[in-house]
Amino acid sequence: MGAADGLYERFDKNLQAVNGNSWLCSVGEAADVIVKAYKEAGIGDACLVESPLVNEIGVKDALEKAGITVYTDHIRLHSETAKGGICEVQCGIADLGSVLQLGDNIDSRLVAGMSEYYIGIVKLSSIVEDYDAMFDQLCAMKELPSFVGFITGPSRTADIECVSTVGVHGPLKLSIVVIADI
Amino acid sequence: MANEALKQEIQSALRNTTLSRTLGKFCETYPERRLKSYDGVDFEETRDNIRRVKGYAAEHVDEMIEEFTKNCTARGGHVFHAGSTDEAMDYIRKLVKEKGVQTIVKSKSMASEELHMNKVLGEDGVLVQETDLGEFIIALEGNTPVHMVMPALHLNKEQVADLFTDYTKEKNEPIIAEEVKTARKVMREKFTHADMGISGANVAVAETGTVFTMTNEGNGRMVGTLPKIHLYVFGIEKFVKSLSDARYIFKALPRNGTAQRLTAYLSLYTGATEVCLDKETDEKAPKEFYCVILDDPGRREILADETFREVYDCIRCGACLDVCPAFSLLGGHVYGSNVYTGGIGTILSHFLVSEERAEQIQNICLQCGRCKEVCGGGLHIPEMIMKLRERSTRLHPNPTYKFALDAVSDRKLFHSMLRIASVAQPAFMDGAPMMRHLPMFLSGMSEGRSLPKIAQVPFRDVFPTIRQDVPNPKGKIAIFTGCLLDFVYIDTAKAVIKDLNSIGYLVDMPMGQSCCGAPATYMGDVENAVKTAKLNVDAMDAGNYDYIVSACPTCTHQLREYQELLKDDPEYYEKAKELGDKSYDFCKLFHMLGGLADEGDDKEINITYHDSCHLKRSMGVFAEQRELLSHTKGIKITEMKESDVCCGFGGTYSIKFPEVASPILAKKIEHIKETGADMVAVDCPGCMMQISGGLDARDIPMEVKHTAVIIAEKRGLM
Repeated sequence: MGAADGLYERFDKNLQAVNGNSWLCSVGEAADVIVKAYKEAGIGDACLVESPLVNEIGVKDALEKAGITVYTDHIRLHSETAKGGICEVQCGIADLGSVLQLGDNIDSRLVAGMSEYYIGIVKLSSIVEDYDAMFDQLCAMKELPSFVGFITGPSRTADIECVSTVGVHGPLKLSIVVIADI
Repeated sequence: MANEALKQEIQSALRNTTLSRTLGKFCETYPERRLKSYDGVDFEETRDNIRRVKGYAAEHVDEMIEEFTKNCTARGGHVFHAGSTDEAMDYIRKLVKEKGVQTIVKSKSMASEELHMNKVLGEDGVLVQETDLGEFIIALEGNTPVHMVMPALHLNKEQVADLFTDYTKEKNEPIIAEEVKTARKVMREKFTHADMGISGANVAVAETGTVFTMTNEGNGRMVGTLPKIHLYVFGIEKFVKSLSDARYIFKALPRNGTAQRLTAYLSLYTGATEVCLDKETDEKAPKEFYCVILDDPGRREILADETFREVYDCIRCGACLDVCPAFSLLGGHVYGSNVYTGGIGTILSHFLVSEERAEQIQNICLQCGRCKEVCGGGLHIPEMIMKLRERSTRLHPNPTYKFALDAVSDRKLFHSMLRIASVAQPAFMDGAPMMRHLPMFLSGMSEGRSLPKIAQVPFRDVFPTIRQDVPNPKGKIAIFTGCLLDFVYIDTAKAVIKDLNSIGYLVDMPMGQSCCGAPATYMGDVENAVKTAKLNVDAMDAGNYDYIVSACPTCTHQLREYQELLKDDPEYYEKAKELGDKSYDFCKLFHMLGGLADEGDDKEINITYHDSCHLKRSMGVFAEQRELLSHTKGIKITEMKESDVCCGFGGTYSIKFPEVASPILAKKIEHIKETGADMVAVDCPGCMMQISGGLDARDIPMEVKHTAVIIAEKRGLM
């Protein structure tokens, strides 16, 4: 384990500090975790952006079996109404509880930005120690993706009377499923 | 007097109870929250890096523009380099027309405010929707931002509910969580239907052609994700060379801005990202991506000016606002610009918005220097405001101030006036130890505080009678008393001499000395500042002494500044440098010369200490006096809250803006009372006058004493 010792714990602690939460689970456990979270939150439909990891987890089938409507195409259309949004995120930062979207895919950006309850899926091996390590990785890329988005907890504001309120234009709730590497 | 319209705006801001409650609370808790957010991050190192990377970009700004343009274009973007605000706006108008844009969603862009974009496009029949919650609220109110980061702090939830009810035509309850939901609902429809999104950039990276936007609410993400056309508008000051350079700015910006380690969203766009063209067909394509770089003459003027070039290093975090005692009372509206507010706003408004307005508002600054401590770009904001004052005083001298400063700079005339005043003052004192009320136009001076009486016999007449029993003197020190020690606080000057005698130093008082010139400096009157500098350089004759001691940090600071004032004068510069280099404030010098062993009368006294702005922030002296006091037997120190926040004196400030100085003093008195201390220790006679006046006016029987006096009294030296 070495340097990665406590990495997930720090990620989770820092994410909780910004009103998010996470679960560490295996590929086999992840679908049930997501279904349970959405059921508890009363989410009836969700946009899902498919990727090899998302498909391996079997999120779509599990949600549908649980009676939750899943949209995997026409995301722009469905994200206007669907309460849930799920996609894979490419990296995480333990010291901030942040996740990162890297790439051009518009659907991933739509679900992460428009859903009421967003769930991101990230591999534990993709979580780096801190902000500087993340910047070092970005700087080392031959070409920066056309979009890079740091997401640190659900959207928030303190614009009325300085009262911190979670959930403005972006998600009201944010969870991250961290997949322990096999 | 300060501009009457400005005075009225100040009164109006002070009457806004919502503003004082929310902004006051925010500013009060900000320093601690900010500090906590820096846990594990070295702020000084971060801002050194910010200065380095922004400094590089400023030196190579033309290269930055060229490189950014090349790299953004290579990734499918379009870049327009605008040489003026008009050119920028013309380009945007044409683009909007050519693309048939009817509705625009916008996330915060200060540069677009400089273009008056919403108004201009509105006149063309285009709807520009502000999407940041605070900006949306003030747009409904028809107002300007009260704070750079939190624009609607002056409104309470009830007022917001009314604005939302008017807008939505549905009843909105004054419940913040519900109001936020309303904003989400209203804005969703705008985001999904907008033809164009407009963003402001926090940073633009030349090497990659990348623009960064930082938001919490998620509106920035919507603006960059949903519309098919995306336009960035930003000034040339946003450039850094590399992606790695950008990291430093985002270490400081969220921590300084909102005391967050990172905001909820930080988005990087490099050229044309994918967008959905048609939600029914799910057709996707690269978006139309435009960047307008604002390179107007005001920005070039900043870059060309050696004094103000560092303005380029500003990261627009707003920290200077949050720690400013005046801003925390008044908010941003009194600064008059619809774009920039507070200390940095005063400077930016001068170059980018309106010189006339900047001339009025530059006087709101107390010169306490608190902003410099937290500035993310390491800007010398108070010094730059002083330079603006100098320019303004040169261009538009105020005859009343000029008359007063001319008189103060004439030693014989000024000292004669003080002697006359000492005779005339009993009429205003009714036998009390302090003056509580002054008549007519002087009444503001005694607002919320009493004033001390002028001594019947000035210290310069007392000095020859003081016996200095120093058998084998280690050296000779000249005392610079300044006006307050010479004519008001005689005992403090005596104590300084007794304390220094007790550690083996003789003290001399050169009689040709006069006012240090700080009033002239702080009112931008360079002519009189130079005149008094020369007078005192001659009078103090520093070559004859080992050290110069002053018990007024403002005077000490001024003595040290003479070399800067006289740098172009070959006759005076060297002498001024020697004077400056030998000048120390009492506590620093006393501590430096060894101080005293643990002695004292052992009578228990609970003391709270107030830090003078100049002593702590200009000279970095804050531990020495505490050490000297705590090594005096019997003294217990109880720290007050915000001990280093200005007491509101600010030299002439408390006379020019008593309505601002008075509530600042009231807060200081509250913090003093909360300690339950028996006495307040200070090292600045100006602070002593302000705080003791504030206590007297409130009938609080608590003494305020200079550290030099406390040391002397507790050790039986006087």
